Amino acid sequence: MSNAQLRFWGVRGSYAAPFSSHLGVGGNTSCVEIRVDDHLLICDAGTGIIPLGNKLMQQDQIREIFVILTHYHWDHVCGLPFFVPAFMPDWKIDFFGPGDGPELIEEHISAQMQAPYFPVGTETWLAETNYLEPQSDGFQCGPMKISFSNVHHPGITFGYKIEVNGKTIVYASDNECKFIEKSIKRRTDEFTEEEHELIEEMVHEEHQSELNLFKDADILIHDAQYTPDDYEKKHGWGHSCYVDAIDTAIDANVKELYLFHHDPNYDDVAMEAIQKHSNEIIKEKGSSLVCHIAKEGMTIDL
Amino acid sequence: MGSTRPTVIGVDNSPSMKKLLERSTKDLDIDLTVFTSAEEAWPYLQANTPNLIIVSILLPDKNGLSLLRDLRQLPAHRETQAIIVSSKDYAQDRMVAKDLGVLEFIPKPMSLQTITDVVVKYTHASLKSDSK
Ligand SMILES: [Zn+2]
Ligand SMILES: [Zn+2]
Repeated sequence: MSNAQLRFWGVRGSYAAPFSSHLGVGGNTSCVEIRVDDHLLICDAGTGIIPLGNKLMQQDQIREIFVILTHYHWDHVCGLPFFVPAFMPDWKIDFFGPGDGPELIEEHISAQMQAPYFPVGTETWLAETNYLEPQSDGFQCGPMKISFSNVHHPGITFGYKIEVNGKTIVYASDNECKFIEKSIKRRTDEFTEEEHELIEEMVHEEHQSELNLFKDADILIHDAQYTPDDYEKKHGWGHSCYVDAIDTAIDANVKELYLFHHDPNYDDVAMEAIQKHSNEIIKEKGSSLVCHIAKEGMTIDL
Repeated sequence: MGSTRPTVIGVDNSPSMKKLLERSTKDLDIDLTVFTSAEEAWPYLQANTPNLIIVSILLPDKNGLSLLRDLRQLPAHRETQAIIVSSKDYAQDRMVAKDLGVLEFIPKPMSLQTITDVVVKYTHASLKSDSK
């Protein structure tokens, strides 16, 4: 067995929330490190990748990194211009994310480092950088097996499955679950009986394909941006209500769920209420699911 | 002089969507073929130019908008009429679709009539003679 750990470096969605009222949970945007022996996988490059980069500069066993991006919204890439290893000549960084081929991946990553938005471009990165071609059977990072699927979010957005030490970790930072089911509830009067039958099938198919990615995961890190009240106002914004994330995790027979991509408007008190409500929901359903609030600095042994 | 029957292609892996496409066009005098992945549709599209293609965004192998982008690179498909049917309905996807010349962006679920109407609108399909 390899020595494997997962660490949360950024757990916020949308934008960083470095407010004193929020620091119990953490203020940085999406970034999760999975380290297996000397193999390093980084899921997303939000502001959380900045302190991770600084930490990496203090050691010398690791010089190779694999960065996988769910998509290119700011909260998932905005740490890269400040990621010190990229500017160092003896490092090697492989990037993968959505896009039709390596050129587009490079283009999407480079686009934020351009005048007048940023003083230097990715050509100043001295590390060897590679942009990877999508592989239908996934990637390998040391002993980690990585595969990807499309999820429900604006633009092409991936969810990743990482298998290591006999455990399955699923990282789906941005995913609006049960979207179609909820849309139908809002439009139910528009359809005839025949259409309702077809639509019910459609909802079932959608739900099944959603569950496929999460099925039997030991650890699911999932979008839980909104409370039910806020989700009511923000249906169709591409993020989940934590209640739906929990329901989906239970349906998919997930063991441990880490609620992730927290709304920057929620302070530590609000997040505590979410944890409490989540536990109540799970208890009510008689499920064995364990639900955590992902917090910056939290480390899981794999 | 009889005009040739319009060809309509669907690319969607959802069995219920296939049924919906078939039922909504059952009285129309068209040739409908539904492929269940981009990979399955690609050889056909390389060799043929249908009158209308109806593509879903979340395909098992590829994003439907990426399929359209690839298609627009082929000289025969620069102007092929295309419609998106999608379980995702986000402004960002609508914008990309518009840039690719997509004529309509129809969020799922849709009524049978919605599909009948767009097929008639863009292919000028007539009713089958036995259903007239
Ligand atoms: Zn995000
Ligand atoms: Zn996003």
